[in-house]
Amino acid sequence: MAAITLKNIVKSYDKTQVVKGIDLEIDDGEFVVLVGPSGCGKSTTLRMIAGLEQPTSGDIIIGDRVVNNIEPQNRNIAMVFQNYALYPHKSVKENIVFALRRLKVDNDEIERRLSEISEMLQLEELLERKPADLSGGQRQRVAMGRAIIREADVFLFDEPLSNLDSKLRSHMRTEIGKIHNKFGRTSVYVTHDQVEAMTLADKVVVLHDGYIAQSGTPMEIYLNPTNIFVAQFIGSPSMNIIEGTLFNDYLDIDGYHLPRNKLSNVAYQETISEAGLKVKVGIRPDFFNDKAFFSETGITFNFTGLTIDLIEPMGFDKEVLFNLAGSSVKARLDLRSDITLGAKIDLLVDLSRVLIFDHETEQRL
Amino acid sequence: MLGKRTLTGRIGFALAILLLVSFSLLPFAQILSTSLKHQYDWGNPSLIPQTINLDAYKELLGLTEAKKVEIPAAIQKILNNPKLPKDKKEAIAAKYTSNDNLFPFGKYMLNSIIFSVGAATFSLVFSVMGAYSISRLRFKGQVVIQRSVLFVYMVGGVLLMVPLYQMAMNIGLASSLWGSAFCLFLIYIVQTLPVGMYMLGNYFRGIPFALEEAAMMDGCSRKEAIIKVVLPLSLPMLATVFIYCFIIGWNEYLFASVFLKQYPEFHTLPLALQELFVSKNAIWDRIMAASMLTLAPIVICFLFASRFMKGGKTDGGVKG
Repeated sequence: MAAITLKNIVKSYDKTQVVKGIDLEIDDGEFVVLVGPSGCGKSTTLRMIAGLEQPTSGDIIIGDRVVNNIEPQNRNIAMVFQNYALYPHKSVKENIVFALRRLKVDNDEIERRLSEISEMLQLEELLERKPADLSGGQRQRVAMGRAIIREADVFLFDEPLSNLDSKLRSHMRTEIGKIHNKFGRTSVYVTHDQVEAMTLADKVVVLHDGYIAQSGTPMEIYLNPTNIFVAQFIGSPSMNIIEGTLFNDYLDIDGYHLPRNKLSNVAYQETISEAGLKVKVGIRPDFFNDKAFFSETGITFNFTGLTIDLIEPMGFDKEVLFNLAGSSVKARLDLRSDITLGAKIDLLVDLSRVLIFDHETEQRL
Repeated sequence: MLGKRTLTGRIGFALAILLLVSFSLLPFAQILSTSLKHQYDWGNPSLIPQTINLDAYKELLGLTEAKKVEIPAAIQKILNNPKLPKDKKEAIAAKYTSNDNLFPFGKYMLNSIIFSVGAATFSLVFSVMGAYSISRLRFKGQVVIQRSVLFVYMVGGVLLMVPLYQMAMNIGLASSLWGSAFCLFLIYIVQTLPVGMYMLGNYFRGIPFALEEAAMMDGCSRKEAIIKVVLPLSLPMLATVFIYCFIIGWNEYLFASVFLKQYPEFHTLPLALQELFVSKNAIWDRIMAASMLTLAPIVICFLFASRFMKGGKTDGGVKG
């Protein structure tokens, strides 16, 4: 068991900086998900924790030792690779117990742990097979088993589910969650899938262009993103960003006046000149409701007479598109709404969920 | 038209294959056939001997009793000439009394095995190290080294033979048996190493690095990862490289003829064969039997190695 600390980690290849100074504290037993678009440095960061890459500068501390110069094999870390990386010449069983054999763990103990893990991951039937004879999902489970059996201090996951189809992915996601709950090891999980980040993490770290854009619990990140990048990256469908102008009394969006004193999630309290302050307004599609089924309360605002441009039925809910201040805005309405294309609709928005970002820096106001 | 087969097409294809196969196999059939024929049968163009004659093989493998050779009367007369110096007499007598018609095949074969297996083993070990470093490690000059290893083959053996021998003379290696053998060893290794490195390097590049990383995460050092993961997966190519090096050493004549000339007891099979061809013992069946016996180990080696040369070793390790 070990906590991990990254201190101002920088990684450059030749002249390109991939990771540009990351500070991160991961508590003992915490499940941290590094999430971000391709090329944001998340895999590189993970590989530096594993020891497969050397940081250009900065310190990595696992437990109470600085591990910068400790070889990966001596860091007591287990890792699940994106492409599984099973040993093709070994049977499933030998793949899983490879590390234990190396550590000269005695045979009874190996068998005990193997049977426990193969039962948990439903691998009993597959133990004698070679990786080539397994399906993608089975290989994934073998890779998990190989990592778990070590009982290492830290588990690292490098996009472990990205090669699975969506059904299997959500199943394995649940399994990983269960495994973490059972063993409670410090885990670092890299993904570009924000659903995995939201569902698995104790702490989500959103990386952008080599920096940490924001870190916090999934709900913090979802409800209170500190900048437009995080706001749009987390949540599906992503947050609508609409042009608006902030005045002393209200926020103007395309002629709609949202009372400023009800925007309880806007910290910005400065007085504004008469011309107003140009801002970007963020509203999640989930926070729109069809007025036909929800009643107005003190903290809702009614966008009246919106024209629907597109309807996308998703099953339980419907995503509708309409135009607001020149941007196409998406709202997620529940299945009772029987709107038709081109019809007018009134939508309610919870004002406490409306966010305002600086027009230039795109940081939260 | 793809996949459509007409009868004439099939027959033509079969004939073409037959032609090609017989073109490459007929010389071997000729060797085998002649080695089994009696002397009266040599002129017979048929590949099937009228009766099988194994004498040549028995003789080469030392299975026959050494024949007592009578000195012909005419020669005996010369030997009886009192004016002839004693050493001359002995030399002449030796030609008839010694058993030099026996071709010590076993000894030559052992020499060949020592040289070719030894050189191939060392070459393989160095190839693995060289190939791993040029395919996996990043260092200054890596690309240059990677591309220039094959330059060794720009200069042919005939051109190198004399300067190499001179160099061996200059540092005193060529004057002793062990020195000469060592030189020959080095030459075989240097001659086979580049191809070995090239073949293995390409093969290593095809093994996903993630497998080694996985081994390292499982507690292996880099060296262990190579030994436990990379090498077992490279078995087909390791076998191929070994056989390649072995065959080069086994068939090599040029350098052996220079470096081993003064050490007949260390002659390898190609050298011995060449000498057999030009000696008074050059009898067809014996030549062909010796050729056959020289060929055999290579064929056996190939058959044995083909078991390891099954492809698809790295399937299923990584996705995509």
